[in-house]
Amino acid sequence: MKFQGRSISNGKAKGEVLKLEEPLSFLGGVDGATGDLRVRDGNVAGKILVFPKGKGSTVGSYVMYDLMVHGKEPAAVINESAETIVATGAVISSIPMIDRIPSVRLFEDGDIVTVDATAGTVEIEGIVYKEVVSSVVSRNGKCILEKRFDTSRSYPGCWSLVAGKVEDGESPVDAARREILEETSIKVGEPLGSMEPLYVREGKTLFKVFCFHFDAGDQEVVLNEENEKYMWASVEDAEKLKTVTDTLLVMRTFLGK
Amino acid sequence: MDLTREEEAILNGEMGEGRQKAMELVTALGKIYGADSLIDITSAHLSGASYKTIGDGGLKYLEDLVGGGAEVSVPSTLNPVGMDRTRWKEMHITPEFAEKQLRIIDLYGRMGIKTTCSCTPYVGPNVPSMGDHVAWAESSALSFVNSYIGARTNREGGPGALAAAILGKTANYGLHLDENRVPTVVIDADIDGSVFSYSLLGQAVGMAIGSGIPYFKNIKPEVEEAKALCAAMAASGSIALYHVEGVTPEAGGFDVSDLETIHIGKKELQDAYDKLNKVDDVQLISIGCPHLTEKEMHQIAGFLKDKEKRNKDIEIWFCTSAEVRDRCPEDVKIMERFGPVLADTCMVVAPIEGSFQRTGTNSAKAGNYLPTLCSQKAMCRDISALMELVI
Repeated sequence: MKFQGRSISNGKAKGEVLKLEEPLSFLGGVDGATGDLRVRDGNVAGKILVFPKGKGSTVGSYVMYDLMVHGKEPAAVINESAETIVATGAVISSIPMIDRIPSVRLFEDGDIVTVDATAGTVEIEGIVYKEVVSSVVSRNGKCILEKRFDTSRSYPGCWSLVAGKVEDGESPVDAARREILEETSIKVGEPLGSMEPLYVREGKTLFKVFCFHFDAGDQEVVLNEENEKYMWASVEDAEKLKTVTDTLLVMRTFLGK
Repeated sequence: MDLTREEEAILNGEMGEGRQKAMELVTALGKIYGADSLIDITSAHLSGASYKTIGDGGLKYLEDLVGGGAEVSVPSTLNPVGMDRTRWKEMHITPEFAEKQLRIIDLYGRMGIKTTCSCTPYVGPNVPSMGDHVAWAESSALSFVNSYIGARTNREGGPGALAAAILGKTANYGLHLDENRVPTVVIDADIDGSVFSYSLLGQAVGMAIGSGIPYFKNIKPEVEEAKALCAAMAASGSIALYHVEGVTPEAGGFDVSDLETIHIGKKELQDAYDKLNKVDDVQLISIGCPHLTEKEMHQIAGFLKDKEKRNKDIEIWFCTSAEVRDRCPEDVKIMERFGPVLADTCMVVAPIEGSFQRTGTNSAKAGNYLPTLCSQKAMCRDISALMELVI
């Protein structure tokens, strides 16, 4: 699966992903002589280093140069959004770098990726890509949450928004309407809102999740056989439940907090 | 980004590897900030000069640049370094540090940069004019030339400013453009007008707004007051430009009637003071952040003329540029009875953490950085109150 980002520092590299969930300060965060990370276990040398963005002292640029001098620099850097410190460090140290990939969530530690930083692309080997939809179907500040069966293949026993796969040739919003009708028997109109797609990895599968907000009106919920039960939940209600990844994030986006 | 044919040629390496690297950096930074083109600059001021802050990585970078024949193409000056070039022993600096620091200064010099090693180049060797586009690092100095002089620069980092100096160009975005120099908030200031009150005012404004372009009413800063205000706002916030009604050159061009007004008076100054004062006794008093001007040297010498230093346990450093020190021999004689008048350096970029734990200063900027960059507990009072601790 190949993604288009933006070129920051030219060059090409192939290697194994080392991913950080949080912004990284090279000063204090990485040992310039050894490449050892100080924020978690691991070493950046030769890795495709993935993190959201840089932070901290501008001296961080020189720590990257120090890594290069010691032969411990990452093979490439991938950011969601480049800032001055890391971009400067990458350029002066000739480390290939791209930014504006959709999310660091595309990647997991150990993924083998090929970065063409001159073209601004990154290709992740051996992953299956699926598009799914997830909808907040609401009435009076509460929305439908469905409880998956304990035998469910994905997120067994968890509470979920009304979600499902996008079929071939189907638009995401049509898929959302179809899933809502199938799973709850509610017919919804135009979405009240949508948001930037989310990415979720489950093993070697990468899900791109399109999220929508629909009004349920005064229609009754009639579940099909896919789920065990349902409830009308506020954000506060959902906070107490075991929910599918990002359920709270999407609910807060559409229902407020 | 739209590059000229010549700029493309540099980027493609046709004018040597050093200039190619510089162009890669300037265009990468321009891309990040949405610049559509490059712009010619008339001067640069570079940070990243102290061995303490840039370390071995920075030293090697400079060595490689010089080895590749890099040279600046516009007049450029250098920020303070980690020690006085000749009096470093009085600062408890180790010979190993001194040797590396002197190499760094030499490397900058070999690229054609004036190694004045001061954070106030605008009072002497590097004075932009109104409307000049420049590439300055050093947050207090760049705010001064933006605000008080009306030159135009973004908050450049050390390597970015150096790359711009090599090319004579920087990316055209941010404060280089008219539309980004418009005030965002009015500050109605109620202060006593002393230099120290400007330091606290800057601290309070940084704490109140963080970033943005303040438009001040009811103050009349001269160079020394503006210097204190710039330094404080750039350290407590990230403010790189401000306007002062009736004082700064661009202030007359704006209608601020629709902007929010923030009042900064006694209470806010007290909050700023409390934030900067965490200790009641100190081992070192350091004055001159940013570097002392001639006028300040005269004032301090005038205050100290008939006094004696009774408390020998507290060290005092006065920090200025070599030019100013040379121009004030009589003042220096008086001040030296209290402590060394140091050139090229200051307490923030010197490795004082090896020798001191508690430091007093009259600078809000130093008050912000002493705890983080120098592991100090800090005191921040006006100069006479600091001197009371020793006389």
